[in-house]
Amino acid sequence: MDLTPIFYQIFIGLYRASIYWLIASGLTIIFGVLRVVNFSQAVFLVLGGYLAYAFYYGFTGSFWLSVLLASLCVGIIGVAVEILLLKPLYKIDVTYQLLMTFAVSLIINDATKILWGKLPVSIPLPEALGMGVNILGRTYPLYIILMILTGLLIYASVTVLINRTMWGLRVRATWRRPEIAESIGINTSIIYTSVFFLGSFIAGLGGSLMVAFSPVAPGLGDFLIVSAFIVTVIAGLGHLTGAYIASIIIGISESLFTLYVPEIDLLLIYLIMAVSLLIRPQGILGER
Amino acid sequence: MKIPKPSPELYGIFLVAISTLIIPVFREPFYMYISSLFMIFSIFSMSYNILFGYAGLLSFGHALFYAGGAYTLALFTLNLLRDPLIGTIAAGLVSLVLAVLIGLLTLRHSRIYFSMLTLAFGMLLYALLLKWRSVTGGSDGISGIPRGGIIINIVDPISRYYYIYTFFIAILALLYILHRSKYGLLIRSLGANEEFLPFTGHSIFKLRIAAFLISGSIAGVAGALYALLMGVVTPDLAYWTTSAEPLVATLVGGPRFFAGPILGSLIFIVLTTYAARIADIWQLVLGLLLIALILGSRGGVLEVIDRIWRLRR
Repeated sequence: MDLTPIFYQIFIGLYRASIYWLIASGLTIIFGVLRVVNFSQAVFLVLGGYLAYAFYYGFTGSFWLSVLLASLCVGIIGVAVEILLLKPLYKIDVTYQLLMTFAVSLIINDATKILWGKLPVSIPLPEALGMGVNILGRTYPLYIILMILTGLLIYASVTVLINRTMWGLRVRATWRRPEIAESIGINTSIIYTSVFFLGSFIAGLGGSLMVAFSPVAPGLGDFLIVSAFIVTVIAGLGHLTGAYIASIIIGISESLFTLYVPEIDLLLIYLIMAVSLLIRPQGILGER
Repeated sequence: MKIPKPSPELYGIFLVAISTLIIPVFREPFYMYISSLFMIFSIFSMSYNILFGYAGLLSFGHALFYAGGAYTLALFTLNLLRDPLIGTIAAGLVSLVLAVLIGLLTLRHSRIYFSMLTLAFGMLLYALLLKWRSVTGGSDGISGIPRGGIIINIVDPISRYYYIYTFFIAILALLYILHRSKYGLLIRSLGANEEFLPFTGHSIFKLRIAAFLISGSIAGVAGALYALLMGVVTPDLAYWTTSAEPLVATLVGGPRFFAGPILGSLIFIVLTTYAARIADIWQLVLGLLLIALILGSRGGVLEVIDRIWRLRR
């Protein structure tokens, strides 16, 4: 039996997994520290794609510069949302914070439609990334390899940032005991804002990198946020490693099922969710 | 039994009940249509508020029960038994079963999990309605829903109006009884101070399930009435923006008040009807409204009125 098609599907699955992961990672760290489920995480990713498109055709003409600018812009928009809309709500019930990020995602959804139209947009790949890499007799696009590596890089750097730096130490202190962190002189308000920046930046980076291969369109975020929610629920809310594993499980199984049982492609993720809720309601790495 | 003194809220509800009763007198089809939409949307919003305002559960998937009810009525009357009344009852029952299944999976977790999971389940139904073409008609939906049947016949617009009115008043009365009952108070304590509830010997999970069942089955009835009014159902009914609508209406009116969702629905329906141009930027309007309400007045219009009322006395 020729295994190449299976390997190729797994490879494509890893690409899907990276997109889920680039949303779910931000969702996870923001929830971990701020206790806010950022509903707008997926529209931040889509917005990153649109901004990269706007910068590319607007003035830069360079793929890398557009990606950098777009990710920074999304990060700054995230900071604005956190300071203006979320800070006033930390003292009240969590549902209102969730509701607020939900409102933000509704607004960004329509704003992208008004600014860039209803049709999908994309930008051309830089030539150097258009090549393929030959592995075991099948050509794999270099660009997709880059996306998968970006996902891995984000995992590694967020882990290092949180576990090995001074900033990470403050973040962990705020995460565990915000009141005590505050009392020993940590400015938790700045920690919150910087974590929100990091989360939004990752989403913006994911979207702007993605747009050269998968076009973005209004409403794309609606489905991506559902997938990202499912990933975090399967992982156990707040578990970074779990979220990475869950993204990969969902990405690869979706990709394999599309090849062999295409009828259930849209429904598969919900089936995985239901099964996971029944057998491990606390998440794959969560503890009771 | 002591009869409670009617609250100012109750006078408002009587006013609504009387005005909706006499609308058909004007013989203006457009008024009747708007009024029917208002009554259906009120039922939907009241059912939503049992979760949001009473039990403190923020659902992003309430459209699942609404669309579930609407599709049940369509499929039931077209394929099984041609009768609107039995179809409406079937819609309530199917939504009740859906609420049991989804409630068992989502209500054991924290309230944040509940919000995320209800969104996922709502979108699951949307995906199913879109994909399962042979049964649901895909993106075209199902049209030609019959209004005449073996038990009742509501082909005539006025009888259809009063059919919807009967359900509106019945559900209003039922929910008011629940609101005033001890059980209703227990469900409301879920939202107010859940952490003390276990000390009273009641189970949070059981009360949440009860709230979810009541809310889900009533939303299913609302969906069935909508299908009867429109004569057509489409998958959009299950999309998450449909879930956001009763949420916004409830927040506009005032989630702490029994009449909140009704007043909110009235404002909502008037707004959407007379500002038809906003259909293109519907999500933007909803989003801005939400932000204004969350930052400005989380208690809604009724809380503002309530505050002024207390000041005057």
